[in-house]
Amino acid sequence: MGTRLVVRTLSELCVTVGTLIVLLVVYVLYWTGVRANSAMDSEVHRLQERWSAAAGGQLPGQGPGAQAGGNNGAPAGTDAPAGAGTAGQGAGTGTGTGSTGPGAKTVPRKSPPPSGKSFAVMYIPRLGRSWAKPVLQGTGTDVLKKGLGHYDGTAGPGETGNFAVAGHRRTYGDPLKDLPELRSGDPVVVTDGTTWFTYVVDGAPFTTRPDDVGVIDPVPAESGYRGPGRYLTLTTCEPEWGHSHRLIVWAHLDATEPVAEGKPKALLSRPTGPFRSP
Amino acid sequence: MYGWIWRHLPGNTGVRALISLVLVLAIVYILFQYVFPWAEPLLPFNDVTVDNGMAVNR
Repeated sequence: MGTRLVVRTLSELCVTVGTLIVLLVVYVLYWTGVRANSAMDSEVHRLQERWSAAAGGQLPGQGPGAQAGGNNGAPAGTDAPAGAGTAGQGAGTGTGTGSTGPGAKTVPRKSPPPSGKSFAVMYIPRLGRSWAKPVLQGTGTDVLKKGLGHYDGTAGPGETGNFAVAGHRRTYGDPLKDLPELRSGDPVVVTDGTTWFTYVVDGAPFTTRPDDVGVIDPVPAESGYRGPGRYLTLTTCEPEWGHSHRLIVWAHLDATEPVAEGKPKALLSRPTGPFRSP
Repeated sequence: MYGWIWRHLPGNTGVRALISLVLVLAIVYILFQYVFPWAEPLLPFNDVTVDNGMAVNR
């Protein structure tokens, strides 16, 4: 009788532990993705709503501002009074200079968005036609559950320096699962609601140590970039399910266009365009 | 363990089955809502930054 009770309790415990493990796996692999995808979609939706509301109110003023910037050609260091006006002007100067060389003038740095708040949407056509993720300020665990995280203290989108962004490779919607698929020439498009920033990937994804903070420097030593410029860094974990290394992708700013002029070429062309995989 | 719980549930078989179902659902809810979100960061899927120690403090 006693033996039977012990054996039964023991097997019941084993079954319970097994069920717990299965539930944990379901949570990690499936449920975090469900939650994160809905959180990311709502962040993107909220941003787009805020931007369209802002555009509706400020579009008449923004048009001439963008045009003036384009006519000037040379980067203007003046601060426009309204936020939308500044962005429009910045966009105008960007298109005027075309590709930004090492001698590009420094853009005055804006104050960073509040921590944990989304401020941009990133598109990477290589990772999927509908791949659009919000970029939030900060890289804390809770921030990365709702989208990509912008490293505190690094440059903003389009600014001189390094716009460094981290994201989950696995779990929480697997946003950067296919990061190793990126290759030289792939576009990474970022928008802050007023401007499209089209970055172009340089080189193959780079594997490094987990503490290699040099990869998010304004001019990352191992990236091959030599002078100051407008760069983008994506970081995620490597290997896919581990944390022994980090996977890094670098890109440089190729073009900026005001949102009013429609989507940039990189988002309109099918993946079979110039960014076709070999 | 499970037999002991079953014997201590009130009502007839139907009521007991219903209460068991509710209990199971409640436990799954508590796990997904509170226990797993706490346990998940202990797994190695969250380390996606190159300045981990700093990111945690932020």
